[in-house]
Amino acid sequence: MSRKILYIDPLECTGCRNCEIACSYIKEGLMNPQKSRIRVVRIGATFDSPIVCRQCVNAPCAQSCPVEAIERRGRVWVVNTEKCIGCGICVQECPFGAIWLHPDNGTAIKCDQCGNCVRHCPPGKLRFIDPNDIAYERGMKHSMKLKELLEEKNEL
Amino acid sequence: MSFKYRGYAGEIIRVDLTNNIVTKQPLDVKLAENFIGGAGFITKILWDEVSPETDPLSPENRLIFAVGPLCGTGWPVSCRFEVGAKSPLTGIYGDSSCCGHWGPELKFAGYDAIVFQGKASKPVYLWINDNSVRIMDAGDLWGKTTGETEEIIRRDLGDHRIQVASCGPAGENLVRYASIISQRRAAARCGLGAVMGSKNLKAVAVRGSKDVKTENPKEFYEFMKEIIEVYRNDFYILDRIKFGTPILVELMNEISRWPVKNFQTGVFPYAKEIGGERIRKEYRIKDRGGFGCWATCEKPVQVKNQPYAGIYAKQPEYETLSALGARLWIRDLDAIIYANELCDELGLDTISTGGTISWAMECYERGILTKEDTDGLELTWGNHEALLELIPKIAYRKGFGAILAEGSFRAAQKIGRGSEKYLMTVKKMEIAAQDGRAQKSMGLAHAVASRGADHLKAFPLVDELGREEPIKARFGEKYLPEMAQPLSPKYKAYEVKDGEELCALCDSLSLCKSSGTCLPLYTGQIYFEDMAKILKLATGMRVSGEELRRAGERIVNLQRAFNIREGLSKNDDTLPDRFTKIPAPEGAAKGHVVELEKMLDEYYGLRGWDQKTGLIPGKKLEELGLDYVAEELKRLGKIPF
Repeated sequence: MSRKILYIDPLECTGCRNCEIACSYIKEGLMNPQKSRIRVVRIGATFDSPIVCRQCVNAPCAQSCPVEAIERRGRVWVVNTEKCIGCGICVQECPFGAIWLHPDNGTAIKCDQCGNCVRHCPPGKLRFIDPNDIAYERGMKHSMKLKELLEEKNEL
Repeated sequence: MSFKYRGYAGEIIRVDLTNNIVTKQPLDVKLAENFIGGAGFITKILWDEVSPETDPLSPENRLIFAVGPLCGTGWPVSCRFEVGAKSPLTGIYGDSSCCGHWGPELKFAGYDAIVFQGKASKPVYLWINDNSVRIMDAGDLWGKTTGETEEIIRRDLGDHRIQVASCGPAGENLVRYASIISQRRAAARCGLGAVMGSKNLKAVAVRGSKDVKTENPKEFYEFMKEIIEVYRNDFYILDRIKFGTPILVELMNEISRWPVKNFQTGVFPYAKEIGGERIRKEYRIKDRGGFGCWATCEKPVQVKNQPYAGIYAKQPEYETLSALGARLWIRDLDAIIYANELCDELGLDTISTGGTISWAMECYERGILTKEDTDGLELTWGNHEALLELIPKIAYRKGFGAILAEGSFRAAQKIGRGSEKYLMTVKKMEIAAQDGRAQKSMGLAHAVASRGADHLKAFPLVDELGREEPIKARFGEKYLPEMAQPLSPKYKAYEVKDGEELCALCDSLSLCKSSGTCLPLYTGQIYFEDMAKILKLATGMRVSGEELRRAGERIVNLQRAFNIREGLSKNDDTLPDRFTKIPAPEGAAKGHVVELEKMLDEYYGLRGWDQKTGLIPGKKLEELGLDYVAEELKRLGKIPF
């Protein structure tokens, strides 16, 4: 199944939460991080990373929903608010803590990859990417290092 | 509860620490209209509630945390909160601004300001969790560093999202230039950390989950995107994002505006060794920013070599590279980064710390201070080991540190022996990293700033960069070319007056001054008209750019009035002789002094203040709607003619 995840390297994320701001305005028309579908965690001196739905293939949220309110639409999972009963089982089941209940109406909210946060990211590093491309980038990075190392040792 | 204007929370918290009482009161609509928010609120509350008899470290002093209407709306770089009190360093109006995530969190919790008064009988901290506001025991936190304090509070309360602003051991020990720190960002100037310490208040912890609504969210968001496009394409902002403030080190060294050896000269031959390019290349780990930040000044760094090896949460800012670097002739970047870390953890203002130590080093050079005074420390220029020993000594008031903890002005009074001659202070505050001889507008700005020697009250930047387009746009062609020339005193009063009003608004709206406001972008600028538009979209307050400027002028005048009531006059709008009488010895400014008198006359004239006394005429105050101020000053005999 072709899919993309919303991804940023924690070393490139500035922890500025502009993604939360964009999300909150687009989805809610106001500012409240508790209503944003993407939420940044800042830990210690250097770690910043957003918590956001990974659009899992075998999504525990959708699988555990007793009323089948979490529906696959193209490459994303979307909450059908008409069906959602606000039981919170999806929140319980998501291993990433990336689905929440709306503080006002109690139904589930999650990222639907509308892309506004991506356009609002100051370093421009938040992006949609096929997870296999992350693997490819990592692999290339490692290979380049290895190449340099071997060159230094004159083994290439 | 809903407030007349959006963007505001509509409520302020009052904390009486002596009686352990927390009350909430609605925000006064008139206060919002006349004083906007943040520093404006602080100014008005201090005028109303703190009298000349109040000792800054006594329970009667107020300590105010305040945010502006834009804070928490997500507007680019509007994450700042202001802290204010009568300053223990200067004894006059004091405020300080800090970015990060604390300010928006206060708004999300539903408050525009917190006003502390009194003194707790034992160490406490305030815990604000939406509607619940509690005074908590801080016995275990007392003595802890700022970083430890944040960690412990988050752990104890079980929520990592809590934002904490705290004072370090320096604040507890009433060091007169102690800072307040939140996630390594600092409200450092004016010694407000010591005011916290004097009240037995260790920290203010906040967690909020409420909405911040704007009047016209669609247009507000669209305008936000428009401004962001400007940022994205602006040469200067891109450079700032890349390097942060340290990029200025070499630039300012080039124009000899960099304080070296306690301002003996403005040129540091080793600037490159502690400049922005090197930090980026050899130390920087990544960029970090506050809520909605686009400038990301905060850049964690790694020192790789011993003895200071480690990962530190932020690179030293431009001011710190001066204060703990060139000003002391220190070129060991590892040591400067470590000294910066120590100051943040212990809660010290790096500018006043470096300023005070550089004064001591000059006294040592001239034989006024000897090893007998300094607990055996060799206070020679460039001795970074002495710096690193002195910082904790100051924070804990140990030995010679106890004298320096009073700030250079009071230390000189105590030591005497002619040491006063080498003081680089205005209104008892150590001068920030601008040699006014190389940029005349900065000289004037330092002399008249309401919180003492300070660059951020006027932040005159159009001549620093020598940029003609913003001058044309803001003032008109007739001020060119002189206004764009940093070495010319001509028209600098216009720039400083304008800058003071703009800065007062930044501090009141919660805007960062470094990102396109005071600093005109290459591709555009945010000026009074733009601010009025932002404010209208955010709050629904219908004001013109001119009316907003008026609000800025009102705030500047009320800060001035506060200081006049404290006994200040023209005699205090001065600079050290080193700036006004001794020509700059080398570099681009060689041979220059600050022509202060000339600029001051013009400045008073523009402000409508009395040129002989520096006092504000009653007519001027009334024109700004400050009749009650005019009445009180008249009663005190502090109104001219």
